[in-house]
Amino acid sequence: MRLTARESLVPVLRTLPWRALAAGGGLGLLLAGLLRWATGEFGGWPALTLLRTAALAYALTLTFVLDDPARHTVSTVPTRRALRTGLRLVLVTPATALWWMAVVLLVPSSLRPPVADVTLEAAAACAVALAAGALATRLTDEPRPGPSVAAAYLLTAVLTPLLPHRWALFVWPADKGWEAAHERWAWVLVGALVALALCMREPIRRRRAPIGRRPGTFAPSGGTPSGGV
Amino acid sequence: MSAVLERTPVAARTGPPGASWAAVLALALFEARRLLLRIPVLAAFALYVTWIVWRTPLLENGYPVLQDADRATQSGPLLIGLAVLVCVNQAVLRSRRRDTERHFAVLVLRPWQRTAAHALSAAPSALLVAVCVGAQYGWSALRPDAVGSGSPAELLVGPLTVLLAAAFGVLLARLFASVLAAPLTIVLLLFLSFGVAVPDASEERGVRWLLPVVSENAQQAIPSQLIDRPAAWHALYLLGLVLTLTLLAVLASGGRGRLLLGTVAGALALTLTSGITQTATLPDATTAARARATDAPQKEQTCVRRGGTTYCAFPEWMPRVGTWASVVDHVRSLTGGTVRERPLLVRQRVYATGGLTADGAIDPSATPGQVTVGTGWGGPRVPEFSAAVASVLVAGSERATVGVCDGRMVTTMWLALSWQPDPVKSLRAVRLDDSVTGSAIVLTPTNPLQMTAGQTYVVRQLLGKPRESVAAKVKAHWAELTAPNVTSAQAAELLGVKAPKEADKCD
Amino acid sequence: MTPTVSASGLSLRYGGTRALDDVSLRLSPGVTGLLGPNGAGKTTLLRVLATSVPADSGAFTVLGHDPGTPAGRQEARRRLGYLPQTPGFHPDFTAFEFVDYVAILKEMTDRAVRHREVRAVLDGVDLSDVRGKRVKKLSGGMRQRVALAAALIGDPGFLVLDEPTVGLDPEQRMRFRELIAQAGEGRTVLLSTHQTEDVAMLCHRVLVMAGGRILFDGTPAELTARAAGRVWSSTERDPGAKAGWRTGTGSFRNVGSPPAGAELLEPTLEDGYLLTLDDAEVPA
Repeated sequence: MRLTARESLVPVLRTLPWRALAAGGGLGLLLAGLLRWATGEFGGWPALTLLRTAALAYALTLTFVLDDPARHTVSTVPTRRALRTGLRLVLVTPATALWWMAVVLLVPSSLRPPVADVTLEAAAACAVALAAGALATRLTDEPRPGPSVAAAYLLTAVLTPLLPHRWALFVWPADKGWEAAHERWAWVLVGALVALALCMREPIRRRRAPIGRRPGTFAPSGGTPSGGV
Repeated sequence: MSAVLERTPVAARTGPPGASWAAVLALALFEARRLLLRIPVLAAFALYVTWIVWRTPLLENGYPVLQDADRATQSGPLLIGLAVLVCVNQAVLRSRRRDTERHFAVLVLRPWQRTAAHALSAAPSALLVAVCVGAQYGWSALRPDAVGSGSPAELLVGPLTVLLAAAFGVLLARLFASVLAAPLTIVLLLFLSFGVAVPDASEERGVRWLLPVVSENAQQAIPSQLIDRPAAWHALYLLGLVLTLTLLAVLASGGRGRLLLGTVAGALALTLTSGITQTATLPDATTAARARATDAPQKEQTCVRRGGTTYCAFPEWMPRVGTWASVVDHVRSLTGGTVRERPLLVRQRVYATGGLTADGAIDPSATPGQVTVGTGWGGPRVPEFSAAVASVLVAGSERATVGVCDGRMVTTMWLALSWQPDPVKSLRAVRLDDSVTGSAIVLTPTNPLQMTAGQTYVVRQLLGKPRESVAAKVKAHWAELTAPNVTSAQAAELLGVKAPKEADKCD
Repeated sequence: MTPTVSASGLSLRYGGTRALDDVSLRLSPGVTGLLGPNGAGKTTLLRVLATSVPADSGAFTVLGHDPGTPAGRQEARRRLGYLPQTPGFHPDFTAFEFVDYVAILKEMTDRAVRHREVRAVLDGVDLSDVRGKRVKKLSGGMRQRVALAAALIGDPGFLVLDEPTVGLDPEQRMRFRELIAQAGEGRTVLLSTHQTEDVAMLCHRVLVMAGGRILFDGTPAELTARAAGRVWSSTERDPGAKAGWRTGTGSFRNVGSPPAGAELLEPTLEDGYLLTLDDAEVPA
């Protein structure tokens, strides 16, 4: 298993949509760079808007990370889907962390909103994007659900600021609800991570066996599934 | 296995002139159907319709002013535009993504014609938005309480933004062959519109008109001829943008020809002309008219006499006279002495100097017997006007009510509230802090009044008693109750309720 | 009979590779097979004839129209049906929608007539039961038939089929042959394939290509005849044979130059094809 993971690393590295990630991440860096360059012009709040925009742009590209044009070709290989998906995440996470650090550092410290809280928001946004991609892969047969997921994600993101105050996620640091909102962000993050973990396995479409049964326990060569029906 | 593979009659073998355009139209219809069935578009429409049904009855407290109701239709379609932008973009990129381009490239319809069809495919969505806009506006316009007049050009903005979004989506697809380009561009646009590049909103004209939807932070309705938004130019500008972006996309997908280039030039000229015209500074005539309406409204208004009261209003608001008269008559019927017969003038006044976004207070009128009514109605506006009528009947003029802090406030507030269906609810509505105990500011169309905790205590007691018995006492003691410097304790005593513990004292 | 397609001197280079090298041909109604090893230039020739890519030099006409001019290309495309190699699909479209979409792109504008014809074509390829199903739910063979239906819509006079039987099981292939044979009645069909059986059973004419050139142009019988006297049986694999294998009967079947007195066998089209390639010194 360990060997498989190490050997899969390079091929998986090549399957990742690096150009899309670069485009999404580059947008955030570019905007942050512009902010830095024109620092005198901005008040305190656009820095937060900028960080949120950067996170959204990057998260949108993350909806494509689990797209796999070769999905049907590799669905039967012994390396399990969870491992292949996990490897993608393992490769994307440090890159994402580095990128986020760069964006945050580009924002002048005088304008920077509370870093831990904003990082929580960004992490939750990214986790939701990945979970949405994983969910789409799990529920559909489509090898590349990315575009549809991105559209749905974007629409959701645009509508989120319209949430009633009780459930508001996008609040300003001066707002009394900042703490409560970040508690909600934490729940979003946890929920997304759980969904992601649940969706990592290869979907089994014929649910004749009890849910949770591993595919490996089916009787071989199309015989009666042990304990099935 | 039938004989179908033998030669069957064929629809369009050799292209007669016009067949290409008919095919473009057929493709547009096909794509339009798919577009309308895409989940993001369906979800956007569901939300949009919910928003219309939920928001429209609440517009301006249910007494819509149509020159504001037309603008209220503009923000909802942005959501549809967003979904359409992404979905049209994906539809254009579909054949490349699914590797059918190799096949489609050798079919008769050329890439630029397919591009045109994709841009056209948003037309039914735009039409549907137009229907929704019509329904939303119609809902307001058909109310018997509606006044004013809307502008068709303002109503066109919603559908045009949908077409604009589609054209932009198509152009993006033809420039960047990636499905990520459209969502990222939207994120960038959101950032630019919310984050940084909000052009100076205090300026009425100017570059902010280059945005697709130009909203106003309107505080109050003003007569339609004073609004003077370049709505028609803006609609033309949007149309020009739609055409320009679509034609650029057609050019980018290989469309050539003198006619096309000429049309691009025409569309560009239209966009530039209307774009620049709409940003031109406000005409002086409008500024002058606004000043006139603010400072000397009597020259612009028509008057009508009902009972002992004259009502003067901007012509668009004349249908409201009946509702105002009912308030005046109610309050008057509760008064005593000669006041019942005293002539009153209800004059509509508006602070229009700065246009729609102006946030100026109207000075109280010094003319005896003149009451000010604003341009809004319904909800808290009714008890506010009622309070103004009562205060003028009690104190003589609006100017005379400024700083009143004695027992007359008790009579005024009881007159203003007691006839209303739910007096305590009206009391809450008329007070700035929505309270029904303690001291508070009471709003009127002009200067606010002040209620002390003691006066509130007395008024609450009076509102809890039968109206007829209190009315009899008010009429019997009218002269004492309306005398300057009568204390709240005295008023309470005259009206037969417990006096407040503390003396009248205002800040 | 005037030829449907006539080409002369078609050449096309991809970088340093000569994909087409002075190809001239004339096609007339009926099914013409195009055989050749991988990389022979079959797909390139088909793409050039289908107006998908222009040739570097040379000229050709399709049903009297010259695809070298924009107007001629449009007219040629109006009469053309094309089934590309491993065709793409829009998986969310139903079979009907996909063929309807292609029909629109072929400028069939009358909706009622178009729908009738789409239904007829789908019936013809035996997909009437699944025309409302999404393409992604269809089996590989069914998808291939959807692609054929898309090529057939609009009653093209010239049908270009690039390896349509790849990946089909024997039964599906048989079914496909039937369809292609029908399509070839009154039409000109150019069929690229690796299956010599397809050619033997379907085509009135066969072209063999290698290295961008046409090595053979004639009837299947003529191609088979090229191997006459060059296929023989022996008990051991003959060292002089170009190819030889043990058959089910236990004896060896050899193709090449037989020794004197060898027991000659009846040649097949495949033998003729192999020898044609071999004679031209092109590895099969």
